[in-house]
Amino acid sequence: MSSQPRTYLRFSLSRRIEHIGLMLSFVILASTGLPQKYPSSKISVFILQALGGIENLRSIHHFMSILVMFAVIYHLLVMGYKVFVLRTPWSMMLSLQDVKDGIQALLYNLGFAKTYPKMGRYTFEEKFEYWAFVWGYTIMGITGFIMWNPITATRYLPGEFVPAAKAAHGGEAVLAVLAIIVWHMYGVNIKHYNRSMFTGKITEEEMVHEHPKELEDIQAGGANRVLDAATLRKRQRFFYPIAAILTVAMLAGVYGYVTAEETALTTIPPISTTVESPLQTLQP
Amino acid sequence: MRRRIKFHLPRSWNLILFLGFGLFLLIVTALTIPVQATPSYQGNKTSNDFCLACHQQEGVNITLGSESLPVTINPTLFGLSVHAEEGIACVDCHKNISAYPHPAVKETSVRAFSLAYNESCRECHEDQSSTIKDSVHQKAISEGKENAPLCSDCHNPHTQTRVIGTESGKLTIAARLHVPQTCAQCHSDKYEQYKASVHGKALTEEGNLDVPTCTDCHGVHKISDPTTASFRNSTPALCANCHTDPKIMDKYGISTKVLDTYVADFHGTTVKLFAEQFPDQPTNKAVCTDCHGVHDISKVDNPQTGIAIRENLLVKCQRCHPDATANFPGAWLSHYEPSPQHSPIVYYVTLFYKIMIPSIIGGMVFFIITDIYRRTVNRAKGVKHA
Repeated sequence: MSSQPRTYLRFSLSRRIEHIGLMLSFVILASTGLPQKYPSSKISVFILQALGGIENLRSIHHFMSILVMFAVIYHLLVMGYKVFVLRTPWSMMLSLQDVKDGIQALLYNLGFAKTYPKMGRYTFEEKFEYWAFVWGYTIMGITGFIMWNPITATRYLPGEFVPAAKAAHGGEAVLAVLAIIVWHMYGVNIKHYNRSMFTGKITEEEMVHEHPKELEDIQAGGANRVLDAATLRKRQRFFYPIAAILTVAMLAGVYGYVTAEETALTTIPPISTTVESPLQTLQP
Repeated sequence: MRRRIKFHLPRSWNLILFLGFGLFLLIVTALTIPVQATPSYQGNKTSNDFCLACHQQEGVNITLGSESLPVTINPTLFGLSVHAEEGIACVDCHKNISAYPHPAVKETSVRAFSLAYNESCRECHEDQSSTIKDSVHQKAISEGKENAPLCSDCHNPHTQTRVIGTESGKLTIAARLHVPQTCAQCHSDKYEQYKASVHGKALTEEGNLDVPTCTDCHGVHKISDPTTASFRNSTPALCANCHTDPKIMDKYGISTKVLDTYVADFHGTTVKLFAEQFPDQPTNKAVCTDCHGVHDISKVDNPQTGIAIRENLLVKCQRCHPDATANFPGAWLSHYEPSPQHSPIVYYVTLFYKIMIPSIIGGMVFFIITDIYRRTVNRAKGVKHA
């Protein structure tokens, strides 16, 4: 036995790249979005001037949102492959157990419960954050579409949905930024510094504390389940065409999202009325 | 005054009576002017009476090249003018003339003659002459546009009455009401639009002093080019001068939140940022005048043109958003702050987040505090956490 603590692979490289992409896009979207919600604040003015004005800021915000849309498509495809082809346990799925775990954790903290809940691959805190993101990005996507394409949107919706979308987009943004600062920063940086999203690795000690059920599963051989080649190929034959069709549909959706309206406006022609129209009676 | 040719003058009793009355007024006016306030009449300077002896006669003309310039001075109107009131002598401006016959005039057109006299105003009116240097009119003069207005085109020096009240220090009521007619000499189509507008109608028909006259938006002597990006970007602030003032607006039941609600909207936010950060750069986002009009502003509830009526507003929307359909104007909250009556969806969405943000973040903070508490207690007791 070596003196090095035993580690487990918690996040594969592609997961980590997804996280970095999400992190960067979130920061850029927030820092180009919030100045639009609070244009008078000094920080907003600084950001606006640094980026060369509101129009540039909006372009960056739009461009980043397109990248997020691609990232979402990628994530859906990977999750689809895992769930339908590899049939790995859907460990991120919410269940009643998560509510129980949350309550038990709170009671434990307050001293009303003897033990802290034993949790699996994802704790209730992590699941809460993941699904908050799913909810938030859905809201952002829909309200973003309405604001990006107000003419198209008001063909089907009352006009008031446009300012309502703006209010929701801004409210959701504030909620998301605060949640990240409070919940995420505490959970992964302050409670204890968790580097697994960057290194991919987690120590056995951390596993014992945070994911005891997952550790039990691994020790019971859960990670060594092998899928025989024939079944894998059979499932892939189903998955790939469906995934391809869905990908094309989703990419078409992104294309439509971005191009539904050439722009929301055509430029106002410069004022070109005749300035002079002298009266006939002249003064002496 | 119209140009009249000497030989076509109707010599009737009416005219004699008119001139007689004019002379009477002149005498009355002259008598009411205290002697000590009229230094120009003293000394060896040529007196105004001396000049008027000839120049009050109808039909006196001089020839400038191929043009004829009437040089008749109506003694009544001159007597009522601020220059007469202040005791300014004819020869204070007409410096080269002291006796008859007058020296020959070298200018060969009426306009050139006026232009030559323009500088003489500066001697007394230094401030106005220098502020006008930055104006769009001065620019036109510099470009050689000879119809661009000179001082005397707006202020006929022989008839101009007092414009700034001696006690109030402000524009007199009469002068204020007269402004649009002065501008109309050259900008008559704008005047026609203005006269029919909510502002112009109130000024020209009711003598309302709350509404803007030309100079309130365009300035007096330093009139800037209203077609520039910076003028456009500053429009909301310009209109807000009056429209956020409850002293004026309360009388008419007009909201003073118009600027705040505009700035809270997408268009207003953008224009405000442009005005603050890049005032000279054009933005295509709507300013007040794009929806309300410029000189032709009408009441918002006017059935034909009022933009409180959705269909009328849609026409304005379509100027920039040609594909906009019937629902589109509803995206603009018509200067209302969201409330359960006006824009309930926006109101309740905003309310939802006002409740949700503190609740969710508060819940998170509460859980984190309990977590920190438990970890601290466990560490103190030497109990391993979890």
